[in-house]
Amino acid sequence: MPDLPVMVIGGGPCGMEATRGISDLGYNVVLVDKAEFLGGNPIAGDYAALTPDMRNAEDAMNEMIEAITDNPLIEIRLNSSVVAAEGKAPDLSVTVKNGKGDEKIDVGSVIISTGFQHFDPGKETQIYGYYEYDDVITLVDVERMLKAGKFVRPSTGEKPKQVCFIQCVGSRDRQIGNQWCSKVCCGIATKEAIEIRDLVPDCKVFVFYIDMRMYGFWEDELYWKAQEEKQVNFIRGIVTEITLRGDGVVVKGEDTTMGRPMEIPMDVVILSIGMEPSKGSTEMAKLFDIPLESHGFIETIGGALNTVQTSAPGIFAAGASTGPADLEDSISMGGAAALKACAFIRKSQLQTA
Amino acid sequence: MSIYKDAKYMDVPFEEKQKLFDQVKGDMRWDHIFNGCYECGICVAACPSARFYDFSPRVFVQTLEREDIDTFYELMNDSVWDCSQCFSCTRCPRESNPGALITVMREVAVNNGLNSAKEALKAYSRIIYKIMSTGTQVAPDMLQPDAFPDWGPHVKEISDNLEYWRRALPPETLHTVELAWDVSVETRLELFMIWKLTGNLEMIENIDEGIFMILEEVMEELLEEHGYDLDDYENVIED
Amino acid sequence: MPTTTASSLPLKAEDRKFERNSPPPTEDYREQLFELEAKGEIEIIRVPEPYIEVETKYGRKKKIPLEHTWHHKSCGQCGHIPGYSTAIFWLNRQFGFDYHDPRDQTSCTAWNYYASATSNPAAQAAVAVRNFAQAQIDGYFPVIHCGTSYGHYKEVRAELIYSAELRKQVRAVLARLGKKLVFPEEIVHYSEWVHVMRHEIKKRQTRDFSNLTITVHPACHYHKLVVEDAIYDKDLYNGQRTAIVSGLVKTIGSKLADYSTWHDCCGFGFRHILVSRDFSRSFATMRKIEVMIEEANPDLTLTHDTGCVTTLDQSQFAAKAHGKKVGIPVMSDAQYAALAMGAHPFKVCQLHWHNMEIRTILEKMGIDYDKAWSEFEHQVDRIKSGEIDYLSWEDADA
Repeated sequence: MPDLPVMVIGGGPCGMEATRGISDLGYNVVLVDKAEFLGGNPIAGDYAALTPDMRNAEDAMNEMIEAITDNPLIEIRLNSSVVAAEGKAPDLSVTVKNGKGDEKIDVGSVIISTGFQHFDPGKETQIYGYYEYDDVITLVDVERMLKAGKFVRPSTGEKPKQVCFIQCVGSRDRQIGNQWCSKVCCGIATKEAIEIRDLVPDCKVFVFYIDMRMYGFWEDELYWKAQEEKQVNFIRGIVTEITLRGDGVVVKGEDTTMGRPMEIPMDVVILSIGMEPSKGSTEMAKLFDIPLESHGFIETIGGALNTVQTSAPGIFAAGASTGPADLEDSISMGGAAALKACAFIRKSQLQTA
Repeated sequence: MSIYKDAKYMDVPFEEKQKLFDQVKGDMRWDHIFNGCYECGICVAACPSARFYDFSPRVFVQTLEREDIDTFYELMNDSVWDCSQCFSCTRCPRESNPGALITVMREVAVNNGLNSAKEALKAYSRIIYKIMSTGTQVAPDMLQPDAFPDWGPHVKEISDNLEYWRRALPPETLHTVELAWDVSVETRLELFMIWKLTGNLEMIENIDEGIFMILEEVMEELLEEHGYDLDDYENVIED
Repeated sequence: MPTTTASSLPLKAEDRKFERNSPPPTEDYREQLFELEAKGEIEIIRVPEPYIEVETKYGRKKKIPLEHTWHHKSCGQCGHIPGYSTAIFWLNRQFGFDYHDPRDQTSCTAWNYYASATSNPAAQAAVAVRNFAQAQIDGYFPVIHCGTSYGHYKEVRAELIYSAELRKQVRAVLARLGKKLVFPEEIVHYSEWVHVMRHEIKKRQTRDFSNLTITVHPACHYHKLVVEDAIYDKDLYNGQRTAIVSGLVKTIGSKLADYSTWHDCCGFGFRHILVSRDFSRSFATMRKIEVMIEEANPDLTLTHDTGCVTTLDQSQFAAKAHGKKVGIPVMSDAQYAALAMGAHPFKVCQLHWHNMEIRTILEKMGIDYDKAWSEFEHQVDRIKSGEIDYLSWEDADA
């Protein structure tokens, strides 16, 4: 049996780590991404600093990219989409389409690492006005401003005096149909709150939340730090409406700790948008005939003991294509998938030998 | 035993409270209007009544979720009638529907003849009579200055000119004074039969015997005039 | 969702274009109704032609019939603000549409139900279905005048869809009345008819309203109680708020003004407006009227439901007596549309039943208040003298 490569679909952090792992184990790998660059959402979304360690996101992604560049075992195909698959692993023929046309590639195993997409606040059933007001923006918009080193009120270009984050936008919501916690938004919002306080020291920052999901070391490294050292106001209670008053917006909600109604003018409102299955993830599930789990992400069948196994032998799924995942989850799953994919090829070779 | 040190109505037997709770939970709508609550406060922020009363839709859903029978009974007796029934609270991200839960709680309060229900409906009974007998909730002749003093002198102007102003309305169905529009007698009787067939009159008897007697007298006379046999129209809805 | 910009600044709101890229989060009630019909459980009244299709909250299409409509009237409109219903009929007559104003219609009785809870789901559903069955017998499609009837019937629809037991009960009750379990394909509110007719209304506009600043109050039972039937339009508020009433105002050419409590309730409260009016008054003036005046200073506020017109209009009197800064005339979208098309302010729109002073707004609309009032008084005198019994449609337009 020939030494067929593993195909990794999606070149974000998870896919890059899988690629590196496969080549480290001495196997061939083809990494496909429909974008013209590697790095996935952190690069596409111009992320500034990573959560929780505040490391520069571009530097971190460049480090990952470097680790898989100029390696004879690794073939990288950008601007390319997977459009068809025939056969069963380890005898798979996958059609990749790019500007020049279609090409069939024989592969022994596949790792789907097509990630997530950011929730579109137009689907929100609260009244948040992202499509009505300049000063209502998202976590991603903030990353872009922080990366450029300035945080301003979009409608005026001036430094804001009062800013808030609204948590769980598009997450934990039966009305929208997204019943999951997106895991990362509490951490990212808190990280951004700290950065805003550092950049604009006289700006008051509020975080409106239902539960602060600051698991592990995020607790003291981000949450306590923001509250104790940076004087970020954490208020339990979610905003239900953002409306216009004069030149600015007003947020309305209940402070559930105090049991009192709030109506606060804000210069900038940041919607902590969550994760949804990406279009790529649903397309790949269909193409490789793998079921989606009840929330719409790619279903893995190994439970807690095997986080990357799908119902199709030799086809693995990792990272946020399988459900909300933070960077640590994604990288760990990428590594796990690399190991399983190589093991799958090796076992197949041993069987046929 | 309530979890609160300052609980009210502790003299009411627990079984009595539990009975009411079971009726609320047993309502056919329960599964569709009740899910959990994670205290986000969205319902309260959207609620008009919460701004003027000691009233919180969040407290209702939390109490029901906890199956806190004692607090449930307090709500049944105190703030259940403060709700505006505007359903602004339907924005609940868990898809609980506090307004609809309150509709059910009120219905249980009425069916059980709770004092809170009797008290809340005291000034309201004439409206129950109007809707049940005429098929229209309000009528032009209700616009009397003593009934709406806070609406100013224009109410008097309307009531002084009522008959002629009603006749100065081009739609033929609107020349009425005692009904909002001209509901045919046949249709009024059909409506009254719906009340009988669905057990609503028995419920009215529980809550306001006076209104019940007038309704029966007026409507049954009308029914007999039109050749209906009352015994044909008993409750067909089983409990 | 938009992704990148050249600068590090977020896109301006006007450049963010919302496109719904996922299926509606709710099940399609029409499919569910048709399934029940296929099983022989229920009969569905189809929307008659001609109709116009419009998009609703989650992007589904809704059919709004133009004529052959059975006008399910509103207690509060007919009883206390009769120019509201009259304007709806007047508009239909102007377009020469076939409509029916039934005497065999009852109230939905939901005002009472939300106020007193002195009823039950079976009774409420039976009242709804009796009206629909009657519309079917009369050969017309129901169009609902009241926002609360519209809201309540949507609730009844959901209950009938999910409860076989309720369907059985309602069938049993209706059978005793010699009627069947029928339901319309769509619950249609008259303001949706006004909305889809707005361009035709514009074509027949005879009065210029471009100098009017208008605030809009969307009715809770229209867009909050069972949200998915409400009409939304990509070109209005970027599809993020219901387009109802606002779409008309923009088409007619008045200035549509925003205010920060547009999404608040009016304060009607069902029982409160009748027996605890201090609440309704306070809420309507403090949360709505005063905010509108401070932030938008409108000439007029428009809404599309019985309770909202009543509460917003009547509540201002007491506040005014207490020296509060209030005094906005309130009317329905139907009356506003009729006035734009040249309807008489008193003989058709019957604005003398409203509370707030309307001389200023009528003059801004180019209407001679005194002349119009004396024309109305003249007709009342003819009734008083016995010359005529009632004001006819012909005399209303004379």
